[in-house]
Amino acid sequence: MNDFSHRATWAYGSAMAALILFMYLPMITMALASFSRSKYFSFPVPKYSDKWYLEVFQSLSIRDFFWTSTVVAIAVACLSTVLAFFGALAFARYDWKGRRLFQKIILLPILFPQAVLGLALLLWFTALGITPSWQATVFAHLVWIAPIATLVIAIQVYSFDPAVEEAAYDLGASRWQVMREITLPLLAPGIFSGFTFAFLLSWANFPLSMLSSGADSTIPEWVSAKLQSGYTPQVPAVGTLTILAAAVVMAFGYQISAFMKRRQVKAG
Amino acid sequence: MTDASVRISHVAAGHSRVSRAEPWQVRLGTALSKPGFLAALPVGILLLAGFVGPLALVFLFAFMPPQTFSVLQAPTLANFRTIFSDSYYLSFLASLQLAASTVAILLVICYPLAIAMVRVFTRKAGILALVLAAPLFVADNLRLMGWMLFLVKGGVVSGTMQTYLGIPVDSMLYTFSATLFGLVYINLPMMLFPMILGVSMVPAQMREAAFDLGASRWQVMKEVDIPLAMPGIMIGALITFILAAGAITEAKVLGGTAVVMIAQDIQKEFTFAQNWPKGSALSMLMIVLAGSLALAMFKRVDLDAIFGRKG
Amino acid sequence: MTAATGDTASASSAPPPILQLRGVDKLFGEFPAVDRISLDIREGEFFTIVGPSGSGKTTMVRMLVGMDKPTNGDILLRGERINDVPANKRPTCMVFQSLALFPHRSVGQNIEFPLKIRGVKAASRKERALELMAQLRLPESYYGKGVSQCSGGERQRVALARALAFDPEILFFDEPLSALDYKLRKILEKELKDIHRETGKTFVYITHSLEEAMVMSDRIGVMNKGRFVQIGTPNEIYGNPSTRFVSEFMGEVNILEVGPGPDGTVIDQATGASYHAPPIADSFAGGSLVIRPEDIRFLDDTASPAANKLEGVVYNEYLLGSRVQYQVRVGDAQVFLVEKLREQQLASARGGRVTIAWDAKDSTIFPTARFAS
Repeated sequence: MNDFSHRATWAYGSAMAALILFMYLPMITMALASFSRSKYFSFPVPKYSDKWYLEVFQSLSIRDFFWTSTVVAIAVACLSTVLAFFGALAFARYDWKGRRLFQKIILLPILFPQAVLGLALLLWFTALGITPSWQATVFAHLVWIAPIATLVIAIQVYSFDPAVEEAAYDLGASRWQVMREITLPLLAPGIFSGFTFAFLLSWANFPLSMLSSGADSTIPEWVSAKLQSGYTPQVPAVGTLTILAAAVVMAFGYQISAFMKRRQVKAG
Repeated sequence: MTDASVRISHVAAGHSRVSRAEPWQVRLGTALSKPGFLAALPVGILLLAGFVGPLALVFLFAFMPPQTFSVLQAPTLANFRTIFSDSYYLSFLASLQLAASTVAILLVICYPLAIAMVRVFTRKAGILALVLAAPLFVADNLRLMGWMLFLVKGGVVSGTMQTYLGIPVDSMLYTFSATLFGLVYINLPMMLFPMILGVSMVPAQMREAAFDLGASRWQVMKEVDIPLAMPGIMIGALITFILAAGAITEAKVLGGTAVVMIAQDIQKEFTFAQNWPKGSALSMLMIVLAGSLALAMFKRVDLDAIFGRKG
Repeated sequence: MTAATGDTASASSAPPPILQLRGVDKLFGEFPAVDRISLDIREGEFFTIVGPSGSGKTTMVRMLVGMDKPTNGDILLRGERINDVPANKRPTCMVFQSLALFPHRSVGQNIEFPLKIRGVKAASRKERALELMAQLRLPESYYGKGVSQCSGGERQRVALARALAFDPEILFFDEPLSALDYKLRKILEKELKDIHRETGKTFVYITHSLEEAMVMSDRIGVMNKGRFVQIGTPNEIYGNPSTRFVSEFMGEVNILEVGPGPDGTVIDQATGASYHAPPIADSFAGGSLVIRPEDIRFLDDTASPAANKLEGVVYNEYLLGSRVQYQVRVGDAQVFLVEKLREQQLASARGGRVTIAWDAKDSTIFPTARFAS
């Protein structure tokens, strides 16, 4: 009953393969569409061309959108990692009275539809007289991403033995030394995953950027506008480029976290 | 400062004996000396300013007279009356119907996949999870655009059928089903990952014991597997239901005008119509729905047990 | 293996075997976790499989219960081959090491589980569950309790009741007591033996503790590296261990590496001392001389005669409840353990010079070549 029969393994394997294909099919289609020479996509593609990529690389406005997306994503990743590090300690490490409540409150923004949250934030910014800008977008992203990063780091915190910290205190370390010498290095892989998650989620976010960024549009906003006002293969070309960028960040992240885990195993 | 106020409070209590509760300064002081509370503060303040505040404002605006831009007026129920007399509840019902269908479809699709991830491909689970989570890092509207190009007339499906098989196929877009398809696609990871957590919470020995006591495969699943994986299944169902009910992009990109979802109505009121109170009242429907479902789940699920599992 | 078959042949008057293994193998890749085992388990006996971790005992019981299939060989239940019968179709049942109580079900529902699976009506299910609870001294009020509210000992009883509700022909146990504290374990060992008597069922018990096996079993099979090294009654195993492995496994023993000496004596290979030992074969080329700590005595009069005599210094003394153990150092290299009853405790022993002695009949010789373990 443990070892699945040959046929069952085969069936599960093909279901898994079908799932992966299903998840990636739209992206493959998009890449295909970006190389179509004619303005309107038709399949099979009659003639291929890379002219849309050349246009994208030459477009100054698209360069601006890329830049805004990157700046926002880096800011969100840095800020949410700091917030989430402490949040995760409160979530999983320390025993305190409000912990159960805190855990639930942290989950609420994740459970809430982003489109509606974005609209509520629009109302809030307007009422407070805050002009939409990339800084406002960073704030909007943080509301949703910092809780997710908190969960990512909290999972690592759970597997962390508090006795190690206590031993360090017992050996004469100060609170700050314990944080620097014990807590931070042990949680480093989780913190790094949290950072990567935050960057990538911000990079791909549309609903929270849409109403908060004002003139500082991000790539997903540009895509949305183009989808409504006039499709050209520039859209899938930009889409394919953002996917490549995300893939590079992910590959780096995976390598680095694998390296960190190896080093910890060795040291431990 | 904390020490001083503690001393003062003891003196005061000795004299008056009115209340045994300590003054708020003292309670705040002791709370501040707890590392847990301090660590929770930064995220707590963020959520207060970015989540609780905006939602509270929405709540206030929902009771303001229509077409006004201030919360300092006499409260009224006019917006809610409009919502229920107009056809707005239709978009709300459509959203609920789509969300329920999405959850039902995802439950059936994801359960065997979660079993496969946890029990069959145990050794490759890490890399598989990464491959399946990666699409989350691509904007929803980009991925939905990919499906649009796939399903549109002259796209991959109809192009293939026409060119290679000679069967003319019309566009498959701009229908209720297309929206549902988009919702299933976008929310699949939200169902799959909690379910994987749930399935991996079922100890192998528990299943073997049931099997050994004479249960068939089906009985093991019914009596042991599903009840023990329930926390994960419930979280998955809840997240997908709320996110699908509040979705916008799927309906816009794939559904065209076939379905109007509640979030589209809310957006319209806040942007084009500039009717904040009505938009807020519509948002309240969403907030109440999401809030009550979340509360129902929190009652039943131990978060430590779910996130704290090692491995 | 030879012990097993020889055993059945000699015990022809004993009840017929209920479970038979015929050349059973379980290979994981190239590695034999269970290595060509043949064994008969008799109807109604309490048979215990003992072995250190990694000896193959858990792999073996998983095959017997039907969770795993043997690579080679046959498993017969009352003469019928059951290799391919899955666990849920076998009339046998196991109490797991983790107990595997269902946390989402009450005590009563756990016990009733096998009956529910068979479609027994709720009323008669409850009746049977309460019967079993009474038999296992679980208060009736526990029927609706959650299993997480039960103590360690109560959980054991619930698991046992659940297995008995299945009414198996053979009941297997995979170290169910290993997680409990010493005192509770001792109580439950005896209870289990009582239940075995009351029910008259065949019990097959897995443990890594020979002590536990001694208390409960009719017969014990000692396993090492996928094979049985000795099968016999507790008395046979205690009094006549077949290999150095078995005698070491029973507890702390003194082991000396020895070679052949003149006139049937043996020579200590570390010190060159010569000892009187039980009779050895002419072909003896070397092996281990094993002496139990309780078989060594202190000589008050250093001149009094004894077969084997050594002078040493007491280095340390350990109190073991009703007994006392001494570490005696002889020369620079050798350490002997000597065990006495509490009443025979030496006065101010530490650092004192003593003479230790033992008789040839109390020592055992295990030749190296034949019984490498």
